[in-house]
Amino acid sequence: MTQVLDGVQRSTFPVKLFITAGIVFLIFFILPFLVGVFQTALISKLLLFGALAISLDLVWGFTGILSFAHGVFFTLGGYAMAYYLKLNLSSTNNNYGVELPDFMVWNGLEQLPWFIAPLKFFPVAVLAMVLVPAVFAYIIGWFIFRSKVSGVYITIITLAISSALTTLFISQQAYTGGTNGITDVAILTLLGIEITDINLYWVILIFTTLVLAGSLWLTRSNLGLILRSINENERRISYLGYDVASFKIFIWTLSAAIAGIAGGLFVPLNRFISPVYLAVAFGTQVVIWVAIGGRGTLFGPLIAALLLGQVQNYAERVTQDWQLIVGILLLVVVLFLPKGLMGLVPRISPDKLLIPSPNPSAGYVQARLLDWFTPLQGSFRTVQEWLTRGNRRH
Amino acid sequence: MLDFGLIQAHTLYLAQDATATAEASGGIDFYSFVNQLLNGIGIVGVLLLTGLGLAITFGVMRIINLAHGEFIMLGAYVTFLMQSAFQMDLLLTIPFAFLGTALVGAVTELTVIRRLYGRPLETLLATWGLSIVIQGVVKLIFSAQLKYVKSPPYISGNLLLMTRQDGTPLISISYYRLFIIAIALLMLGITLYLLYKTPLGRQVRAVAQNRDMAKCLGVNTSLIDLLTFAYGCGLAGIAGAVISSLKSVSPPMGQDYLVDAWMVVVTGGVDKLIGVLAGSFLIGESNAAIAYVLNDPVARVIVLAAVIVLIRYRPEGLFTVQKRA
Repeated sequence: MTQVLDGVQRSTFPVKLFITAGIVFLIFFILPFLVGVFQTALISKLLLFGALAISLDLVWGFTGILSFAHGVFFTLGGYAMAYYLKLNLSSTNNNYGVELPDFMVWNGLEQLPWFIAPLKFFPVAVLAMVLVPAVFAYIIGWFIFRSKVSGVYITIITLAISSALTTLFISQQAYTGGTNGITDVAILTLLGIEITDINLYWVILIFTTLVLAGSLWLTRSNLGLILRSINENERRISYLGYDVASFKIFIWTLSAAIAGIAGGLFVPLNRFISPVYLAVAFGTQVVIWVAIGGRGTLFGPLIAALLLGQVQNYAERVTQDWQLIVGILLLVVVLFLPKGLMGLVPRISPDKLLIPSPNPSAGYVQARLLDWFTPLQGSFRTVQEWLTRGNRRH
Repeated sequence: MLDFGLIQAHTLYLAQDATATAEASGGIDFYSFVNQLLNGIGIVGVLLLTGLGLAITFGVMRIINLAHGEFIMLGAYVTFLMQSAFQMDLLLTIPFAFLGTALVGAVTELTVIRRLYGRPLETLLATWGLSIVIQGVVKLIFSAQLKYVKSPPYISGNLLLMTRQDGTPLISISYYRLFIIAIALLMLGITLYLLYKTPLGRQVRAVAQNRDMAKCLGVNTSLIDLLTFAYGCGLAGIAGAVISSLKSVSPPMGQDYLVDAWMVVVTGGVDKLIGVLAGSFLIGESNAAIAYVLNDPVARVIVLAAVIVLIRYRPEGLFTVQKRA
């Protein structure tokens, strides 16, 4: 009884967490003054990847839709911004003296295609950065979620989409710049002020913080509860009268929009966008961040993206086999740590910000390891039996 | 198929002989289209070979194996290894490719797949991780450099189905494409035989239909799982061995075949193995036909889009009898 009362009396406002979050935000805020230019750019990039991972976590960790297509949404947003920057470069100081971007000139286009021309204006580009991925996702979502297609097939569809779009973007060289993508873009200028790297860093930091906070708020709301229930037992939630497909389409579209904005912010930072980010490999990278960080934790994917990016930065100086390490890490996480690295962290605060889970600890990992070895013994025994039994079978 | 083609070509040859150069331009278009369709046969063979192994692991065992492309790649490397070490003929390396990849497949089943039964999304992730690991390990051992495999001299060259009067080829198909489709059909036949005519195959089908019931009746399900998965991987290995001399052999080569193999399996449906043949024929030939009218990348995009639409309306595949739920 006292425990119940205690629970009720406890403030629902997570004070401690807000203080911690504030401190972390401040540290990140002053970080550019502490680290070099290179690190600032790297961390901005990783923060964007973190936001992308959070957007995937919304659909995968909470709603149970595993997507390899989030790189696609990211890149679509990126291309919208890249066209804007490229077109604005073209009109001021173009090598060819025409308003056309260089790759279009090389490929013999004589005038700007009608669907690219409006991207010259900043508001249009920003709208496109959000809407193109969102509308594309909405169409896909509307198409696949309102059917009997089950989880695994959806994942295969996302693989096919990623593969098909990569092929398309590479083949339409005149419009997309082919394999090279759109390079040498202008520096982002807002209201006549050039946005420097450090300003961009703050913009990105605020964006990622908003994404994280928004996602936390969303997943703790009743909507989040429904999404989680869909993940747990889709049929039951539909029997309760909820239109499961609408919820899925909503979160899918929202997630694509976030991914698109992340992609849009990525271009002024990275100074180019190419089909590399469309390909399945990049989509996998996003999946790996979420899997390693911990599905349904929101913090986990962000932290995983930041940490893995940093480790990769250093690891690639000594070894060329970073991908191998990532693969092993992914295997280990899937087999032994289904909740990701966040699953190892004991719950910090009593506030229900992290998903309630059976307190995983070192003992938990041990148990998982034992789980893994026990069937191995069993299978050896099976083979042994089979060999000794010989012809008696039939 | 082939007989039909020859007869057709012969009659056409006569017909063309008669009309001579009457409709030269139109005629040439027609012939190049036929050539394109015959090229498509080669694609069909590759798709059939790569899809077959997947149809076993996915159709029979319901395992989402995203490392399938890497098993193809392993098969190709076994062939490369055998050829560079023992100067072995490509045909002779096929059994080794089968055994080598089947062994790796068995180890995979024991260490990874077995632990994830009944959790398709986790299996998908784990096999994806595995594919990255296999690629990484192969890259460590063989370096990322492209390797080349020689195709045997007796299956090089083209089979001329039709020539112009001056002897230049008009319609032809390379022997290697015929070889690929022959191997593919042979493997399909062997698999069908194993699955439907042997006691082991009966057990495999029993496990696929109702695992618990099969277990109750004394079928050693874990052994069947192991053998089936190893066999599916072995088939991928054969595919790799045969494909190896088409293009170069490199660690990421499997990725190209993975999506295609999945599309074949999804199109054909996995209820009947013969669906894989239908699926690969449909995808291979439509790809070739669209590529002729438009171009290769666009054809690929259109085919992939069509498959996505197909999954939406018939996730069980085109050639599956509708079952009552």
